[in-house]
Amino acid sequence: MSSSAGVGGDAPDLVCQLDCAQGMVDALSSVRWKRHQDAVVEISEHGVVLIVEESGCLQAKVYLKRELFLAYEYTAEGRPRFGLSLGLFVDCLNTFSTPGHAPVIEIRYPGPDMQLLLKTVDSPDACIYAEIRTRIPDTISWDCNFQSTGNVHATFTEAVDDLEWPGSSIQIVLQPDPPSVILRGEGHGDLQVEFPYYANTDLLIAFQCDQHVSYRYKYKFLRATTSHIPNSVLKDNRGSKVTIGRGGMLKIQHLISVKRAGGQHSHGDISGGIQQLSRIAYIEFFVKPEEDESPVNDT
Amino acid sequence: MKFKAFLTQDGVHLLDKRTLFFSQSATISDAHFRKHLACSLLYITINLLSGDGVQSVAQFNKDVLFRDYRISSQNAGRIAFAVDVALLHRALRSALTIQAQARDDTAAIQIKLVKKLPAGSRDPAPFLTFETKGRVSAVVQDVPISKPLPRDDVQQLQSALEAAQDLPQTLVQVQDLAQLQSLVDRLRNVGDLLTVAITRYGDLHLQVSTSLITVGSEFRRLRVLGLRADPPIGDRTLSAPTRTEMAIQKGEGLSVQVSLKHLAKSLQCHLAKPDCAFYGIAPQGACLTVIFQFFIPGTRLTDKSISFYCRLPVLDPGSGP
Repeated sequence: MSSSAGVGGDAPDLVCQLDCAQGMVDALSSVRWKRHQDAVVEISEHGVVLIVEESGCLQAKVYLKRELFLAYEYTAEGRPRFGLSLGLFVDCLNTFSTPGHAPVIEIRYPGPDMQLLLKTVDSPDACIYAEIRTRIPDTISWDCNFQSTGNVHATFTEAVDDLEWPGSSIQIVLQPDPPSVILRGEGHGDLQVEFPYYANTDLLIAFQCDQHVSYRYKYKFLRATTSHIPNSVLKDNRGSKVTIGRGGMLKIQHLISVKRAGGQHSHGDISGGIQQLSRIAYIEFFVKPEEDESPVNDT
Repeated sequence: MKFKAFLTQDGVHLLDKRTLFFSQSATISDAHFRKHLACSLLYITINLLSGDGVQSVAQFNKDVLFRDYRISSQNAGRIAFAVDVALLHRALRSALTIQAQARDDTAAIQIKLVKKLPAGSRDPAPFLTFETKGRVSAVVQDVPISKPLPRDDVQQLQSALEAAQDLPQTLVQVQDLAQLQSLVDRLRNVGDLLTVAITRYGDLHLQVSTSLITVGSEFRRLRVLGLRADPPIGDRTLSAPTRTEMAIQKGEGLSVQVSLKHLAKSLQCHLAKPDCAFYGIAPQGACLTVIFQFFIPGTRLTDKSISFYCRLPVLDPGSGP
């Protein structure tokens, strides 16, 4: 693969190629809860991380490891970061792929004007290309130092869907005895969804909890963590990992299969092990809990 | 003003299939039947008089469509009127169906211009009548049309048609119209202003740009009709925009801006299944011309008795020599 010099003779920081544009779109769409969102992209020798956040209470990260790419040439020092419109990036990737045809796309950063450059490279006589403007990113306001107090592996999505009372908050309770996860929503009436650990291992796959933990989270943020996972991916989904950290920080992890074109469907080789791992994108959501209500003063 | 003719078998099928070209691309349109003294042509045109939007012209040699063709008018044998293409198409389809059902070799479809009293009105109005006559029955369908266009309008139409025939100096052939249409549909998500550049090397370059993103597509080494040139050596490694810019500066390419919506509209004609499509930029960047051609069935020879073309208005003068 050629890495032709940019303006000024510097090699670009990153030149990579991917052939799974649709999978990439699936992974990135799962953190797209609004039409227009600004993301911060950080590139390194390990791969690409894309971070989005909202109002200091919800943050999502998409990890695209270098093994997901057909080729990955990284020559920068340190970890360059830039700001990008997530919506534009996803829409752009969609422009490149047509049903039934997964082109090989080359992505370069930076272009002569610090843009992100994309181009199809599988045909000498036809190509689609794009240049996306980037900006200097704001510093990320919170980088959570996460320590877990309890975690579960569960089909989280349906529970959150069932608890739909927009505007209200959801209480999540993890308790060690009896081991269970309870999600409680209140609005016009209340609804409680309980996952007892021993009852149904399809729903609650793993459970670890030392102490009773209970926090409330805004419904709309919880919804953002599950409602944009594309349906095609949900079917393959191995379940999401839900962890509550110290101070009530909720961490939700999804694994999204980013199938390689011409590769086997993941159903066939779940036991494929290492081969399979390279086709997974990791998605992490962090949700800050609601502040505890201060006790009522009677003055 | 008189017009009467029988539609040939080929003619009726042709009109039926090819009018699809229009009924998808215009909601209300004008169809102008016109007999040119020298070569007896039928023109169906859209937007040629209004000057707005995509102009489309279908040209048929009358002998392909009609037999026993009679026309007379005070306008040097030219008659032009406006008709709703959807209604015209519907009448054609029913005439075809009736003819097939008659199972009668002598069943023929005749069209003529008539004046009739429409239901509930006291003034006679002009119609294009389709009469399907068999041995035992006849079915008559009236398609309402506008009053035949006055002399001045017909003259204007004539000039517009002649101007439309100003061919671009370089045309490139696009093989896969469905692929182009799919690309155009996706580019519409980005914006509406499309820059089209065509070079004498056989490159077709489309680009949509906003302040935040530029998306483009380049097709290279397409077949060229007209003026052609060899691409400069070493241009393979350059980016598409750079290559195009260089070609334009050397006077070996032209670039114009058109509306992506217009291009999408003109591409809907691929429903009429043309065999070839050529794109070119008219001299001085006056418009983007698309020419569709059909082969004589069973051959790869162009059927010269039919031709379709569209002219897309240019929004902003692009760079050109």
